[in-house]
Amino acid sequence: MDFIIQQCVNALQWGSFYALIALGYSLVYGVLRLINFAHGDIFMVGAYIAFFVSTFFLSMQIVWPEGVVLAFTVPVTVILTSLVGVTLERVAYRPLRRKGVNRLYVVITALMCGLTLENGNLALLGASRKALPSLLEKQIYDLGGIALTNVKIMVIFTAILVFVMLHLIVTRTKAGMAMRAVSWDPFALPLMGIPMDRIIVFTFILGSGIAGLGGIMFAMSYPVLDPYMGAMTGWKAFIAAVVGGIGEVKGAFVGGFLLAFVEIMVVAFLPSTFRDLFAFSILLLILWKRPTGIFGMPQATKI
Amino acid sequence: MMIRVENLYAGYGKIEALHGLSFEVDEGEIVTLIGANGAGKSSTLKAMMRLAPPEAPLVSRGDILFKGKSILPLEAHKVVEQCKMTLVPEGRRIFGNLTVMENLHLAAWTRSKEEIAGNLERIFDLFPRLAERAGQQSDTLSGGEQQMLAVGRALMTGCSVILLDEPSMGLAPLLMYDMFRTLKRLNTESGLTIVVVEQNARLALEVADRGYVLNTGEIVAQGSSEELMRHSHIKEVYLGG
Repeated sequence: MDFIIQQCVNALQWGSFYALIALGYSLVYGVLRLINFAHGDIFMVGAYIAFFVSTFFLSMQIVWPEGVVLAFTVPVTVILTSLVGVTLERVAYRPLRRKGVNRLYVVITALMCGLTLENGNLALLGASRKALPSLLEKQIYDLGGIALTNVKIMVIFTAILVFVMLHLIVTRTKAGMAMRAVSWDPFALPLMGIPMDRIIVFTFILGSGIAGLGGIMFAMSYPVLDPYMGAMTGWKAFIAAVVGGIGEVKGAFVGGFLLAFVEIMVVAFLPSTFRDLFAFSILLLILWKRPTGIFGMPQATKI
Repeated sequence: MMIRVENLYAGYGKIEALHGLSFEVDEGEIVTLIGANGAGKSSTLKAMMRLAPPEAPLVSRGDILFKGKSILPLEAHKVVEQCKMTLVPEGRRIFGNLTVMENLHLAAWTRSKEEIAGNLERIFDLFPRLAERAGQQSDTLSGGEQQMLAVGRALMTGCSVILLDEPSMGLAPLLMYDMFRTLKRLNTESGLTIVVVEQNARLALEVADRGYVLNTGEIVAQGSSEELMRHSHIKEVYLGG
């Protein structure tokens, strides 16, 4: 029993990573109907930014009290990562949108942007991996045989906090209302005097910022960074977003946690080489039964 | 003249939809553009709103002047903000996943709290059904209620010029007359300038001050509503004899 609960805790942690990345795919898809294939690499960039920011703070000749560096690193990383996302939108996607090209070309552009980020990183920083400095003294709590670390608790709480905040943004704020409106039908938005570009930038800020947060959390849990860390994790998070119902905030979370649970449970009882095969087969089955994902709605417009 | 469309050429890709269209709208007028399917009525309104291709045509020649200034360089949201002109699109295009109230609030993007409160009151006075359904998700509304919401939404923007694209489409005759009566009321009570595109020409001419008849991207006749209704050829082709 303890073993199962322990696995569940681990699944919650992994599910948090997937969910934090899946959100960015989902938000951007909801607003632009664009699969932003560079998003997994934005997550990677977030982890690297966290590395550079925290190393910079630690290199100052100051003895920082416990947790202060982390408290600085989180907001700075989130802001810088969201800037990277917005820059991609400005430089790569917006010009294509202006020209009114088919969405296929924007998706391919996104894919190339992702590869550029990966290989740009490789070229600039070399093949050696980077290790995130320790930002939080590791504490292990033993709850009747279940091991919890402070990092794990922080990761899971971060994901929950992001979910609540995002839910409030989407349902209670005007910008969030506009995001939902666009996902239904972007045509009438400018007729309300609302600049579409501002809503798109807002969406990229949210999605990339949250991916940056995911990057820090991931790097604190597994402090070894490499340029390709966002590729496979990004793909999985994208699949999680689709299975949950792309375009839906709760879909990204449910999909992320579901994928993590399946993966962890497969590894718990079977050789770890079975993990991805089983995980993806189960997701395939879900999509076969519900092609629009768990929370996705097939859209119909009334004319 | 408030709006002056001058020798406008516009099209979608290689296909030209408007071939040198010219017409005018004065402040406080109701002007109607009538004509058959594919005559370029919707394209004209979308071009006036400066909506972006591919859904709207690209203007290649000519000009659209608002109070003497060209609005060709503006984007649609700027037209709403600066000219106080908006469009009630064909097929209504309300945000079906938002409630009635959310649709109205979203339309008030550029406005202050006090303006919103006053405007809501006015809209619920014009369309009491919307007040009853304020909290309802708007894709569950009937076609007539959706059209009320589409007009209500346009009013919430605070615009003083409203372009309407086929407001009678898909409505039962009774609701159609109600809608046009409301438009007339908005015009006389609030001084709203209205440009309405209609296939139901008779209905449109009954409330309009003036009209233009479009045929394949060109204006083929114009005049006051009475003149157009008396015109024997128009009667035959557009008003059903």
